[in-house]
Amino acid sequence: MLSEQQIVNRKPKEAYPALEQPRTVRVKFRKIGNLQYISHLDLQRTISRVLVRAGIPMWYTKGFNPHAKMTFGLPLSVGAESLCEYLDLRIDRDMSCEEIKDRLNGALTDELYVLDVYAVPQGSAFADIIWAAYDIRLRTQGLSPSLADEIKTYLTTSPLMMDKKSKSGIRQVDITTLIRSLDSSVENDELRIRATLCVSGSDYLNPEYLIRALRERFGLLPEGDMTSEYTILRTHVYLTDGVTEFK
Amino acid sequence: MKMTQEIENRNNGARYSSTLLKSISKPGRYAGGEYGQIVKDKATVKARFAFAFPDSYEIGMSNLGMRILYGALNSHEDIWCERVFAPWVDMQEQMIGHDLALCALESGDAVREFDFLGFTLQYEMCYTTVLNMLSLAHIPLRAEDRCEEHPLVIGGGPCAYNPEPVADFFDLFNIGEGEEMLPEIVRLYIRMKDEGRYTRADFLHEAARTIPGVYVPSLYRVSYHEDGTIEAYTPIYDDIPTKIEKRIIQDLDRAYFPKTVVMPYIETVQDRITVEVGRGCIRGCRFCQAGMVYRPVREKTPDVINCQAREIFDTTGYEELSLSSLSISDYTRVGELTDKLLEWTNPNMVNLSLPSLRADSFTKELMDKVTSIRASSITFAPEAGSQRLRDVINKNLDEADLMRAVNVAFEAGKNQIKLYFMQGHPTETDADLAEIPALAHRVIDEYYKNPNRNKARPPQVTISVSPFIPKPFTPFQWEAQDTLEEMRRKQAFVGTCVTDRKIKYNHHDAPTCRIEAVLARGDRRLGKALEEACRRGFKFDAWSEYFDYDAWMSVFADTGIDPAFYANRAYGLDEVLPWDIIDCGVTKAFLKRERERAYKAATTPNCREACSGCGANKWGGERACCPNSKS
Ligand code: SF4
Repeated sequence: MLSEQQIVNRKPKEAYPALEQPRTVRVKFRKIGNLQYISHLDLQRTISRVLVRAGIPMWYTKGFNPHAKMTFGLPLSVGAESLCEYLDLRIDRDMSCEEIKDRLNGALTDELYVLDVYAVPQGSAFADIIWAAYDIRLRTQGLSPSLADEIKTYLTTSPLMMDKKSKSGIRQVDITTLIRSLDSSVENDELRIRATLCVSGSDYLNPEYLIRALRERFGLLPEGDMTSEYTILRTHVYLTDGVTEFK
Repeated sequence: MKMTQEIENRNNGARYSSTLLKSISKPGRYAGGEYGQIVKDKATVKARFAFAFPDSYEIGMSNLGMRILYGALNSHEDIWCERVFAPWVDMQEQMIGHDLALCALESGDAVREFDFLGFTLQYEMCYTTVLNMLSLAHIPLRAEDRCEEHPLVIGGGPCAYNPEPVADFFDLFNIGEGEEMLPEIVRLYIRMKDEGRYTRADFLHEAARTIPGVYVPSLYRVSYHEDGTIEAYTPIYDDIPTKIEKRIIQDLDRAYFPKTVVMPYIETVQDRITVEVGRGCIRGCRFCQAGMVYRPVREKTPDVINCQAREIFDTTGYEELSLSSLSISDYTRVGELTDKLLEWTNPNMVNLSLPSLRADSFTKELMDKVTSIRASSITFAPEAGSQRLRDVINKNLDEADLMRAVNVAFEAGKNQIKLYFMQGHPTETDADLAEIPALAHRVIDEYYKNPNRNKARPPQVTISVSPFIPKPFTPFQWEAQDTLEEMRRKQAFVGTCVTDRKIKYNHHDAPTCRIEAVLARGDRRLGKALEEACRRGFKFDAWSEYFDYDAWMSVFADTGIDPAFYANRAYGLDEVLPWDIIDCGVTKAFLKRERERAYKAATTPNCREACSGCGANKWGGERACCPNSKS
């Protein structure tokens, strides 16, 4: 957070030269800790206020009910954290990406924090994101090293049919076809799964499905057990080849 | 900023576990971590204060008083004030099931470990939630059962003007405005600790003796007559006040006001900038407690209000600004203020909203300025249907004023009008009640008579009627509330008078209003009923889905309380009232005079037209409208 003095001394956004054409900039941010409990809708409302208090020269839609133009990347479910969320903003004044980043971070906390701001690369669109890497950890009692292999085998052997919700209703899906890679290890009291899952359109595989599978098959994280915990952290997003990072 | 590696390896240790938060509805209520929250080093602060709002996060986070006091306490470097709200029912089940104690949001530490737990008492129906929170916090309900290691439980807010029903559960009350008093209380605590002379009992005695506005109920004995009325309040020490004088802020311009707001991530009830324009109300409606207890009327200057609003906008980015006041159009410099505000709210696309507009000051000019009035419907509160009854309650509103106001709205294209009323005012007859729908009919006639109306849409008038609840420190404080049967009969009667489908009729829940009357005019003996209610799991009584009238009746029956004694009895004019221990400035003599005038349907001029000698001017106050005030 900025101090009061910093806010008072900041140049008003009107002091920046107007652009002839609005420009789109991409913001990469993280959403971690307490922010994992905040829904997408709440995040949108929050960001629209952040843009105002940070003094970002937003371009506003014309018409009866003008609003700032912003487009979010992938959805992130409540209860999952991420180090790679994306947001495109349209600005109408010439403010540098570096300054936008500093201003945004002055209006944010550590848990919702901007990592990078840059001009959108030619031709890049959020629809290009096909895969996402997750770091999933379960902290619970009674984990044996052999469990890691069993889990890996179970989650990668086709077919693994699960009821999957989609817009058109619930259908049976072999979820291994939506897992590009998966590794699992046990250390101390922690089970760690690193997995790259499909995030494309109706094939979006919420990592909670993996948790559900572990619950159902291995009896981990029984309902009502408050001493065990799990965390889901999205670490990278990739293009269709599953290797090239989205930019 | 934390590095990625550090984030990957961190432990989500403290507070409620993530597994718990993932298993309940709206976990954002309990997560904390909002932008603007204040975090201090608990090892170096000298006093920790948990500021509790006995309702849901969404309601509590909207409260201006809480925003102010949170900032005022935290402006002291060695005091750390945190927030705590009533966990919703699903969360409570989990907490009880897993034996988890109530935690404060900022640190995630159990409030039981704090030095102070302060409740703001905004409405009587929150009392059961106060007890519910104490029990979730694993703190003994009764002050007498607490020991040195428990937090001091203190209460303040509007309901503290009659704190007696909850007196058993509080160590100390703040009477009046808290910005100065609350830090003084904590400073005394720190000083006594520093000097090594702190004990709970000595602290309470010294606070009662030296800090004006502090009421320590355990230091006063109450005796009763055989008929159940109060005989006397007797202080147990002779160096503490026999009547507790409320505190006021002398100069609102210079009073503490926060420069920012803790910004909720989840949607709350009033998620916007709120700035007061002043305190008190010049009107003197005879049923209205706020209009009496916040006297004398004091204003802030437009420049101060404008700066404070702008500052909060700069630090929050809110898209709405609401000016708070009991009657905004009575603010003497409302035009100047709105002009100043609009200079920056308009270009920044901030909507300006003005609550509580009176029909007699509703003008086209004001409507054009203020966004909230641009909505499709507009609300006025005539409070009574007939002119006679409006005079009885001193509403000082003519039907002609109302008709002029609705016409302004109609010409601006509006077709929906909401009208608020009360039923059960003293001297009310069915003829007065019949005037409520009749007035609504006349508003509809007015619509069709107006040539500039929006001819495409039919008019709609909503009438909302709530039962009268006698409140302490009002001219109607002695009056009996209608019995439940009578309230219901009147509700049905008004319904039969509504003969036009363009009129929508709502009414408040009568049983809730009855319990509210009991709690509002109650005395200390209600403590045992509230304790029993808590034991039976009562909470969230302000929420209709959790309010259970029959359960209340059995609690009263089982604890030997007769609710009619408090709700349906006319209190004697010479009776010692439960709230006589408090001096709120307005004298009993004035309230009696006003009551007599009410029975004669005689109105009293507002404070700006003429002073009626209510007594509140003895407190002084900058920019107060009272003559001969102290300062
Ligand atoms: S002293 Fe007079 S002017 Fe002041 S609040 Fe009372 S009645 Fe109003």
